Amino acid sequence: MTSSFLRISMRIGFIVFFFIIFLQLKAQQSPVATPMHTTGEDTSFNTNKVLDEVVITATRTENRVSNIPLPIHVINAGSIQQSGAQRLIDVLQMQTGLMIASNPLGTALKGYPNPFGDGIQMQGLDPAYTLILIDGEPVTGRNAGIINLDRIAVGNIKQIEILKGPATSLYGSDALAGVINIISADPRKNDFSFQTHYSTNNTLGLSGTANLKAKKAAYQLFAKRYSSDGYDFDKDLYGQTVDPFTNYSVNGKMIYDFNERSNLLTSLRYNSSNQKNAYLIYPDDQVVAVGGHTIEEDKSAFIRYKNHPGDALSYIAQVYATNYSNNANVYIEKDGSLFDHIGLSQTLIKPEFQINLGRDPLSLGILGVGYNWEKISSTRYNGDHQLNAFYILGQKQWVINSTNIIVGGRYEKNVLYKAQFNPKLSVAHKFTPDFILKASIGTGFKTPDFRQQFLSFDNTMVNYFIVGAKELTNVLQEQIRRGLLDDNEEVRAFMVTNELIPEKSIGMNLGLDYTLKQNTVFKLNLFRNDITHLIESYSLPLVTKNGTGFFSYKNVNKVFTEGAEFSINHRFNRFFTINGAYQYLIAKDKEIINQIKNGEIYKRDPSTNVSSPVRLSDYHGLFNRSKHSGNLSIRYFNDRLKGGAMVLAKYRGRFGYFGLNGFNDGNNILDDDREFIKEFTLLNISVNKNLGKYFDLQAGIENLLNYTNKVYMPNIFGRVYFINLNFKL
Amino acid sequence: MQTLKFSFLGLLAVILIATSCSKKGEKQEMVTPVVSKTDSLRAATRNTFTFYSFKDGRVIETKDSASTKWDFAIRLATIIVNSGSSGPGNVGVITQKGIFDTFKSAPESGYAYDTTGSKLAINSGLTTGWYNYDPASHNFTPKAGIFFVFKTNDNHYVKVEMLSARYEDFTGPMPLFIWHKFRYVYQPNGTKEF
Repeated sequence: MTSSFLRISMRIGFIVFFFIIFLQLKAQQSPVATPMHTTGEDTSFNTNKVLDEVVITATRTENRVSNIPLPIHVINAGSIQQSGAQRLIDVLQMQTGLMIASNPLGTALKGYPNPFGDGIQMQGLDPAYTLILIDGEPVTGRNAGIINLDRIAVGNIKQIEILKGPATSLYGSDALAGVINIISADPRKNDFSFQTHYSTNNTLGLSGTANLKAKKAAYQLFAKRYSSDGYDFDKDLYGQTVDPFTNYSVNGKMIYDFNERSNLLTSLRYNSSNQKNAYLIYPDDQVVAVGGHTIEEDKSAFIRYKNHPGDALSYIAQVYATNYSNNANVYIEKDGSLFDHIGLSQTLIKPEFQINLGRDPLSLGILGVGYNWEKISSTRYNGDHQLNAFYILGQKQWVINSTNIIVGGRYEKNVLYKAQFNPKLSVAHKFTPDFILKASIGTGFKTPDFRQQFLSFDNTMVNYFIVGAKELTNVLQEQIRRGLLDDNEEVRAFMVTNELIPEKSIGMNLGLDYTLKQNTVFKLNLFRNDITHLIESYSLPLVTKNGTGFFSYKNVNKVFTEGAEFSINHRFNRFFTINGAYQYLIAKDKEIINQIKNGEIYKRDPSTNVSSPVRLSDYHGLFNRSKHSGNLSIRYFNDRLKGGAMVLAKYRGRFGYFGLNGFNDGNNILDDDREFIKEFTLLNISVNKNLGKYFDLQAGIENLLNYTNKVYMPNIFGRVYFINLNFKL
Repeated sequence: MQTLKFSFLGLLAVILIATSCSKKGEKQEMVTPVVSKTDSLRAATRNTFTFYSFKDGRVIETKDSASTKWDFAIRLATIIVNSGSSGPGNVGVITQKGIFDTFKSAPESGYAYDTTGSKLAINSGLTTGWYNYDPASHNFTPKAGIFFVFKTNDNHYVKVEMLSARYEDFTGPMPLFIWHKFRYVYQPNGTKEF
C-alpha cells in the first residue's frame, strides 16, 4: 500500500516537476543562480547562517550544495572533531539513512567477531553497492562485498561527502546506492597538531599531523596509531568477541605550485591493521587451540597534475595505484606448526585524464578517459586474475534561467563483460534562491566481484565447495577425474559456460530544499532504486561420493528499495546548531512478491505447526532493513568561553534478522514479528574546552544508554568513556 | 471483555460441534478412523539411515533394512523410500504443495520411486529440496507448504509433513545426530481419503 503510494507519488512528482521546469524555462528570463565562492575554509563558526558547503563528489568539479541537483550531505571536519570519534564507522553510522550492515555469513557467527568487518547500508542497499572513495579514488579490497572501514583512519579529514543515488555515470562500477568520498585536508599553512585518545577497553589513539607551507610547495605528514585490547562478551566461548588489534596509518602529501595556473599533487598512503586470532579446531574430533594474526595492508600512491592554461579550459592528468593485501597465518598453539594460511592481494592501477571546459563553474563540460588495470591473486583462487576496463565519461552542466541541468554518462568496456553505458540526468530548479526542487534519474551497475567469478574454496570442515561461476566447469571436471562425481547428464548440465552479467540499477531521487530566514533548512528527498540481475549464491543438486555439496553464483533476484528522507537543520545563533532527520525505507524482493501473489509461499507457525499461505501484507521485505530510522545532532561551541558540547543520537527502528533466536517458519522470508530485532538508540555526548593557547581537552561517552545485543550485534560494546587531549601549534 | 465473551461463545460452539460429531461417528462404527500422529526420529548425520514404519508408528531396527517393514528412512536431511535402489519394497511418494490439514484425498497416480542412488523419489537437494538450509548456522528447516503423500508396500495411503529438525547437543566439530519431528495421517482402511 505505502510502497505503491510512494511510487505513484514519485512518478507524478517527476512529471509535475519537469512540467513546471518547462513552463519556467519558457517564462523566465533573468538568471538567479548563486555565484560560486570556493574558499574551502570551514567557516561554520563565523556565521549564523546554515552552511552551503562546497563539494566535489557530485560533479567531479567544485560546486555548492545548493547548486547541485542531487541529494548530497557533508560531514565537516569540525563536527567530526567535536564528536571525538576515532573510527570512520562511528562517524558514518550516526548519519541519516546510513546503517551498519554486515555480510549475513559473518553475522551468523553469533557471539564471534565478523570476519568481514562492518560496512554501510545506504538507501537500503548492501555495503557492496556503495563506492568508498578517498580523495575521489576508489578504496579496493572487499571481503564478501564489504570494505572494512577500519582501514581508513579518522584524522586529517577535511570533510566527508555522502552522495546518494547511482553515481556510476561518474565513478563506474559499485556506485549503485551512492558514494562516500573522504576528502583529506590540504596543507595550507605551517602547523602541527597531535591528538592523544584514550577510551574503554584500553583503546589508545595517537595521531599527529604536520603541515609545512613553503613558497611553491606545501607538505603534509599524517600518522596515526590506534590499538585496543578488544573485549569478550562470552567467557565460555574460546577466544575474545573482539580480539586485540593495532592499526597504523601514514599519509604523506605534497602539493607543488608551478605557477598560478598549474600544480602537482602527490600523495602516499599506508595503512596496516593487525588483528589477533584465537579459536578452536576439531581435527579427528580432538579439540585443538590455534592462534595467529590477520594482517590487512593498504598501500596507495596518487599523482595528479592540474593545469589551467586558459580561462575556459583546465585539465587534470593523474595516476592512482593501490594494493590491498590480507594475510592470515594460523598456528597450532601446542607445537607452533602452521595450521592455515589465507592470502589475498589485489592491485589497481588507474591512469585518468580529464578536461574541464567552460568559465562558469555551473556550466562546465567535462570529458574524462581512463583505464583500470586490476589484478587479484588469492590462496582461494586458482591462479591470478585480471579485470581490466577502459572507460570514457562526459558531463555537461547548464544554467538556463533558474534551472541547473546536468547530463552525464559513462561508457565502460570491461574485458569480461559487454560494454556498459550509464547515463544520468539531474535537474534543479530554483523558484526562489531559498526554494529549490531537485530531481535526478540515473543508472548504475556493478560488475560481479572476483569471488563470484573465481573463488574455488573447498570447505572440508563442513563438506562443501564454493565455486565462482567461471571456475565451476574446472572444479566439476576435476571431481569427475578423481572419480568423485559420475560423468553424467546431470553433472554436465552445469559444465556449460556459466556467465555472470553485471548487476544493474535505475535510481530516482526527487527532493526539495527550503531555507527559512537563512538559518533553517528543510530538506526532503524521495528515492527509489530498482536492481536487476542481483547475484546470489545457489546450491547445485549434486553431491560427490564423499558427500560434498556445491555452491556457486548466478544472476537471479530483482529487488527494489524506496523511501523518503526528511531533515531540518537549524542554527539558533553562531554557537548553536541542531539537526534532526528521519528516513522511511521499504526494501523488497520482487520475485518474492510475485510468488506470494501466486500463492506459492507458505509459512508454518513453529509453536502450533499450523501452515498457511503467506499474504502480501505479511511480507516485510529484505532482512536487516529498518523501516524507520532517525538521527539528531546538537552542536554547541562558544568561542568566547572556548568550550562546547555535542550530542549525537541515532535511532534505528526494528529490523528483520534471519534465524533470530532460532526462529524459522519454513520459508526464508521476513514475514513474522518474531523475526525482528527490537529498535534501539545510540546516544553519544561529548564536551570540549580549550586549555590555554595550545591545548584542547575533550571528554565524552559513546553509547550513553549502554545498548547491547551481545549475540546478534557483537560489534556494539556498550557504554564507552573517552578522553582526548589535542595539541595544536 | 468483548474478546472474552467471543472466545467463550467460540468454546461453546466447539464443544457443541465436537459432541454432535461424535454422535455421527457412532452411527458409522464400521469405518476405522484414520491414525493421526506426531512423532520424532533420531537420525545420524552420516553413514547410517534411520528407518520408520507408518503402520507400526515406530522406528524399525537397522537389521530389518532389507525388508518391507519400513516405509521411509532419513540420514541428516536425505529421505529415502523403500523401493528401487533403496529397499525391496514398492513405496511411492508424491511431494505435494499446499496445506497439509486441508488435503483430503491422495492422488491416483504420480508416485515417484527411488530408482538409483542419485535419483531419489524425494528431492533432498540443498536449495531445491524439501527443506531450507542455512549455510551459516547449518540448520535445516522443512519448507512450509510442502508435504508428502505416501503409498505404502501394502497400498495404504499416508500424508506426512516434516515439522522441524534439531541437532542433538554435541561436542566437537560436527553434530552426530539430528532429530526430525513430523506428523502424519495414515489411512488404515486402504482408501485414498484422509
